[in-house]
Amino acid sequence: MTDQEILEKLREIMKTSSQEEVDWDVVVPDSTIDGLGFDSLSILDLTYDIQQEFQVEFEAEEMVKVATVKDMIEFLKAKSA
Amino acid sequence: MLRQLRYSLEYHFVLRALTWLENHSFEECSERARRLARTWFAIDRKRRRISIGNVLKAGITSDEKRAEEIAREALENFALVAVESIKSRDIITKENWLTEVDVDMPDESMQLLKKEGQGVLLLSAHIGNWEVAARLLSFLKPVTGITRDAKNPRVNELMQRFKPSENFTLTPKHSVDSTRLLSVLKKGEVLALLIDQYAMSYGVRLPFFGHVTSVHKSPAMLHLVTRTPIVYGLCLRTAPMKFRVEVSEPLVFPATGNRANDIEKILLDLTARTEDAIRRYPEQYLWAHNRWR
Repeated sequence: MTDQEILEKLREIMKTSSQEEVDWDVVVPDSTIDGLGFDSLSILDLTYDIQQEFQVEFEAEEMVKVATVKDMIEFLKAKSA
Repeated sequence: MLRQLRYSLEYHFVLRALTWLENHSFEECSERARRLARTWFAIDRKRRRISIGNVLKAGITSDEKRAEEIAREALENFALVAVESIKSRDIITKENWLTEVDVDMPDESMQLLKKEGQGVLLLSAHIGNWEVAARLLSFLKPVTGITRDAKNPRVNELMQRFKPSENFTLTPKHSVDSTRLLSVLKKGEVLALLIDQYAMSYGVRLPFFGHVTSVHKSPAMLHLVTRTPIVYGLCLRTAPMKFRVEVSEPLVFPATGNRANDIEKILLDLTARTEDAIRRYPEQYLWAHNRWR
């Protein structure tokens, strides 16, 4: 899966688990996870959705520490490898 | 300046109360706590109205007099929680707790709580004595609980000094984040959460005794994303300083890909367990909390 494909998939997932109104079309790799409406608790929703959608095994704690969308893409690529 | 003065007065009042508790017998302390609770119940009209209203709304009884009795006894129970938490340290120890306390726990749950490196989500409610419950289980494995901080930092410091056990850590509610909670589970410890209070933004709307309210969903999400088993536990009072600990079998719910359904299934199961315990011991439940908003 390319970075762009992962980004598109993440956008779709984030739309359903974010707590805030966000213009998802302007989400770029440098966007921060905090800035997309995920706080320390709602990040668990996103973790669940990513685990299910990407079917990858990882410790939830690792995911919670990811700071930007780019970091998340890299994280998912590493876990899928 | 005024705040400092208030903090100082509060600190000395709490310190005196705790010292008094330490220097008097359990029977004396219990009697004093019950009397204070009865006075509080008589004076605090708002809390009394909420408590009685909650008992009636939950359908525990339809008789207003009986509801008032239950609400008053519940407040007495709440006062006893503090007394027992402190006094039980001399009476119930790591060495004798399995004989002093009536423990109803399946072998699988006991093994889970003894297994090194195994995180456990211990879920409970404000019924019986939840402080004693956490202390007892900390004899098996370190326990971290979430607490509501007092505004007064000196009182907080004092409460930490009087906390029930070395193996029992309290995390202030305001600084709770998922990283901290996840790290407790990853370390193979017990994360203890009381799940029966009104959840604000991070909650889901579900029925409690047939009336919809906001229910905390973090216990369900922590279970789903970490696959840490849940045990539902209660510590019920059967006589003065006598307890019955009831622990469920380990609960594991699959993640199906439908987040909302998975959360609902878990929370409905846990809520049913809480409701069942409250129906059996209504006078030991914290009715003073404004659950339906």
